[in-house]
Amino acid sequence: MTDAASPMSTAKAPGGLLGRLEGSWSWIALGLIGLLLPLLDDSYFGVIAQRAYIYWILSAGLNLVVGYAGQIAIGWVAMLTLGAYTTAALAAGRVGGVEWHPYLALIAGGAMGAVFGVIVGLPALRLRTFYFAMTTLGFATIVTQVALAWKDVTGGGVGTPGPVFPWPFEPGWGFYYFCFILAALATWITANIGSSRYGRALVAIRDAEVAAEASGIAKPKLLILIFLLAGGLGGIAGGLFSSLQSYITPDAFTFEMSVLFFIGILIGGRGSILGPALGTIILTVLPEFAAPLVQWSTFLYAALLLVIVLVIPGGIADLLDYKNRRPLTQHREIVPRPELLSRILGAKGEPSAIRLANIALYFGGVRAIDGLDLEIRSGEVHGLIGPNGSGKTTTLNVISGYYRPNTGTMKLNGTDLPFDKPHTRANYRIARTFQTPRLVGAASVLENVMIGGTAHGHGTFAESMLSLPRHHRDEKQLKDAAMQVLATVGLESLAAVRADRLQHSELRFMEIARALMLRPAFLLLDEPAAGLSAEEIRRLGALIKAISREGTGVLLVEHHADLIFDICDRVTVLNLGKTLAAGTPAEIRSHREVVSAYLGA
Amino acid sequence: MPISRRQVLAGSAVSAAALASGFPAPAIAQSEPIKIGYLPALTGPSSSTGVGINRGTQLAVELINKEGGIKGRKIELISRDTQSDPTKAVNAVAELTQRAKVSMIFGPLNSGEALAATPLIARDKVPMLHPCWVDELIDVKKYPMSFRIAPTNTQVGAGANYYVVDVLKLKKAAVISDTTGYGTASVNTYVPMLKAKGAEVVYQNHIDAANPDLKPELLRMQAAGAQAIMPWSVNAGFLSRICNTRGAMGWDVPIVGQTTLGSGQTKALLEKPEYWNKVYSNNFRQVCYANGKLPPRAQEFVDRLKAAKIEFGDTLLWWVALGWDGGMMMADVFKNAGTKNDDVVAYMNKVKGWPGIYGTVTWTPQQHNGFPDSEVVMCEVNSLRDGAFNLAPGYST
Amino acid sequence: MFASIVSYGLAVGAVYALIGITYNVMFSASRVFSFTAGMLGMLGGVLGALFINKMGMNAVLAFVLVMAAGAVLGVITEILTVRPVLKSIEQHLYVLSTLAFALMVQQVTAIEWGTEAQPFPVLIPIDPNSALGLVDQKFWLPVLACIVTIVGLELLYRKTLIGRAFLAIAEDSYAARALGLPETRLRLASYAIAGVIGALAGFTGAQMLLAYFGNQAILNFYGFVPVALGGMGSNRGAVIGGIALGLFQQAANFLVGGIFASVAVFAVFIVVLLLRPEGLAGAATARRV
Repeated sequence: MTDAASPMSTAKAPGGLLGRLEGSWSWIALGLIGLLLPLLDDSYFGVIAQRAYIYWILSAGLNLVVGYAGQIAIGWVAMLTLGAYTTAALAAGRVGGVEWHPYLALIAGGAMGAVFGVIVGLPALRLRTFYFAMTTLGFATIVTQVALAWKDVTGGGVGTPGPVFPWPFEPGWGFYYFCFILAALATWITANIGSSRYGRALVAIRDAEVAAEASGIAKPKLLILIFLLAGGLGGIAGGLFSSLQSYITPDAFTFEMSVLFFIGILIGGRGSILGPALGTIILTVLPEFAAPLVQWSTFLYAALLLVIVLVIPGGIADLLDYKNRRPLTQHREIVPRPELLSRILGAKGEPSAIRLANIALYFGGVRAIDGLDLEIRSGEVHGLIGPNGSGKTTTLNVISGYYRPNTGTMKLNGTDLPFDKPHTRANYRIARTFQTPRLVGAASVLENVMIGGTAHGHGTFAESMLSLPRHHRDEKQLKDAAMQVLATVGLESLAAVRADRLQHSELRFMEIARALMLRPAFLLLDEPAAGLSAEEIRRLGALIKAISREGTGVLLVEHHADLIFDICDRVTVLNLGKTLAAGTPAEIRSHREVVSAYLGA
Repeated sequence: MPISRRQVLAGSAVSAAALASGFPAPAIAQSEPIKIGYLPALTGPSSSTGVGINRGTQLAVELINKEGGIKGRKIELISRDTQSDPTKAVNAVAELTQRAKVSMIFGPLNSGEALAATPLIARDKVPMLHPCWVDELIDVKKYPMSFRIAPTNTQVGAGANYYVVDVLKLKKAAVISDTTGYGTASVNTYVPMLKAKGAEVVYQNHIDAANPDLKPELLRMQAAGAQAIMPWSVNAGFLSRICNTRGAMGWDVPIVGQTTLGSGQTKALLEKPEYWNKVYSNNFRQVCYANGKLPPRAQEFVDRLKAAKIEFGDTLLWWVALGWDGGMMMADVFKNAGTKNDDVVAYMNKVKGWPGIYGTVTWTPQQHNGFPDSEVVMCEVNSLRDGAFNLAPGYST
Repeated sequence: MFASIVSYGLAVGAVYALIGITYNVMFSASRVFSFTAGMLGMLGGVLGALFINKMGMNAVLAFVLVMAAGAVLGVITEILTVRPVLKSIEQHLYVLSTLAFALMVQQVTAIEWGTEAQPFPVLIPIDPNSALGLVDQKFWLPVLACIVTIVGLELLYRKTLIGRAFLAIAEDSYAARALGLPETRLRLASYAIAGVIGALAGFTGAQMLLAYFGNQAILNFYGFVPVALGGMGSNRGAVIGGIALGLFQQAANFLVGGIFASVAVFAVFIVVLLLRPEGLAGAATARRV
């Protein structure tokens, strides 16, 4: 997200073979150094460089897992081990007595890594961060122990020779170019994913999981794809490693190595490709120059990691991100342009409604919702008010599928809306915002908004990976739509700015923009006016009203009584989980009980 | 040191010959040092061997250089600590052969690293001398320039097997190891050898060295009727636990196995000093006490170490001797053959009965394992003094 | 053989349980899992061997010093690696900061103390032929330490004001702060206590496990399994889980041998976690939406 070539900084539309990397001088420089290194005819440099390429191939995949998806997979050296042993054992004929051709063995190593990448990654869907980290550590230990024990295939403790690739990739500079090409390919693939809607979705899952789900991003499927890819790259790296080493034994795959890959990515910065690449290269090359310190290398890496985590969590990528240090205009105003809404929301569909009947939800002994009926009709703004703890946000969470009620039904035009499946709401074009803005701080405003449209892309993961035309069409469409939406809410001048630099009120409008990307039939707003100035509230109200006039049904949970009475067509008042009153704003305003319980005189 | 005309002429002749031969040879100038690459593991988990051997190597090189070097040229020992890590060993090989352009490489000193380094050193066509025991490391066809100055695993196992079957006259043995490369290879090789000698292997297993409780293993051995325990591991903790468990069980059988059984570290981990009784480990005739005395060459070496104030009570004499022999052998080779690869290898192929402190070395073009079978013996570990041991009882001296 | 399984299993299980409790105490105070639990256990053994064997101190003095060292390390952990990241939005950074610190300490130990396991002295001079000497102290010391810790924590939490304050911040830190409880100081104290418990685990278990830098990784994982299985924050669960793990591991060692035992433990760990991510005794936490 913070690479030099982000979608906004390139003047031309993203496209062409180089896609994401176009215009990125650092990559070109690295590529040239790599291509021309053999001219030095120093095979010591060659060995170190090959090692760096191999480590980068694995780290490029791990970068997607750790840097983009935010999964702390510490024990990833297991993929290297698996790939190395698979390739070596097959090429040496230790399995089934047939000697595999090295290229086939290498592919098999990659496949093995991919399969186990998924197996190791699956727990990530269910486990907390620390638990998952421990699981990967345990797995890495197990793999080493199996390598020791399974003597027939792995050679046990004595190990097994690595494969020798034939011309043109024979040991020496031939193999060097093989590693270089594969490293370049790994960079290209992962960069493509990183800058695609899959990459943005990963980061969304990492930093704003609930918002990602609301945008229709299905965490399991995406994570499985990423683990598959990362495991595959790790396996291939392992196969190459076994050839570089010429002979592998279990003691070559140390825990220190896992730490090294991990730290390389974090030093480089999450959400970046270039940063981790530089980080990995530095960490591979550094021990060769600091001979007396070499014993302390792991200590220094760990110390560096600590410093990074505490002082610059964003890593090198953050340090290099000059774009986002330019000062922003001080007194910014948000000027929405509701007249642009018709372009975004399209033609009005058939009138529809979401109907809640007799919804009840208990948290232990507390009745958060105690028998609620609610109807949200298209083209109407329906206000939901009540004191704190009356169940407003809980109701909204039930409608958007985060909470499963104990009793009651929820229907959209007669068909049941599934409980407990928040990521399906996007299919019904039900969008929402959150009480506290959920955003990806490190991404730009434009990228945050584009996340809202993830579900509407057509291209597959593979197409994004290989930078095929449909992926680029998707990206163009998404970007255009996002710019339109930003113009509508009045934030288009901030499109390229990092979201965490925005003011609170701007973030609220950004959330609405993200929700609008779904071209929602229903929009659920959770206290969007909180923290806004009076003028901003007025503009917000005008925008919401205009949205409903385009046919969208809006549920507005709010505390600002003025806003409610200004723009709502109907109002429901909750108290202690029950409906206290329901009707038009005028009826509610004069309702005796409402006044005494909530509104005051 | 004044340079004589003869040396100048000799030097130029050698340089001219080198240029003419066109064979990749290190640049030779008049008094340029002879560069030897050295790959010890001085740090990391498998470093105790390396630390011991290093003392001997450094001493040898110092002495040679003090006495004028080899034909006026000093030895430059370019040392790269492999940290017990095969990947670092591979990186270091590239640096030594390509950048430093060494004339020979001594090491790596651990089998795991040597397994990775040997093919690469052979590919770079540099002569190699190492003291690792794994059999696969020497192959005159695949690695024509690699030579070994230590016994092979097979020889070591044969020595132990000989002692159990032919000296102690026992019939049933339990053979165990840890799970490292060395351990597993050993057990896999020695069990068939024992059986070929007519002994019965009643129990064999590879045990995780980190396991704190070996009692179940020993109970199983006892139940199977083992008359001797033969452990193969360089892990002092593991070996000490075997001794402790045997002692705690009160099971009176000899333990006959790997050299590290007799190391200071193993001793430190014993629960009772008597647990070290009837424990016999591999050792080498040239450095063992027979009838209370070391062989003359070894005694001379010990005196030299004491004079140079080199510590060896906390390590094993044979490691230090091995390091010394490595340095001295390389010096002899260069003195007699120069530094051109072809000459070096040709000379080494003809070494016969070279009198090392550690062992008497002989090589032929078909046989690059230099250590003689007869010099692999068992010693009594609780006789440790000054890093050396008594020959085990029962040998004819 | 059965006696060996039980004695080793209980003893090593008690060590695992204590490390699990260390994790729990740190977690209760901060909602953070720290990678330093194993480190504390490892140092309990290493520092003990350093003080008694290498520096010649008597066992009681060494014990006090090691406990103090544990407390100090706990405090450093909190100040250096936990407090700074608690404020950040990126909650999982604490995994990395504690990991980094634990790694640094491990490397220093490996370099300065050595990579070989060193012996740990016999702590209490007991005549092996006497009645007390019937069961080797290396087996009952950890179990005793575990019992003392459990009882001590129970008394602390239930009977003392400060203990109840700990419970309060564990239960709901916002409410506790609103009540005026000094959350930071309480958290610091909790980490100090956790440090002592971890060091105690290592010190009493070292006659079995030896003074070995590699114990850190072993205890990190095997001390975490009881927490995962027993439910995070539940000390009772940690004890049951730890003992069960110790017995299972030793039984597997006896019956099938080392490598399969590790695979078996790992498999059970994964399966239980996948079925019940919150642990067998833990409460499923609702997500904040």
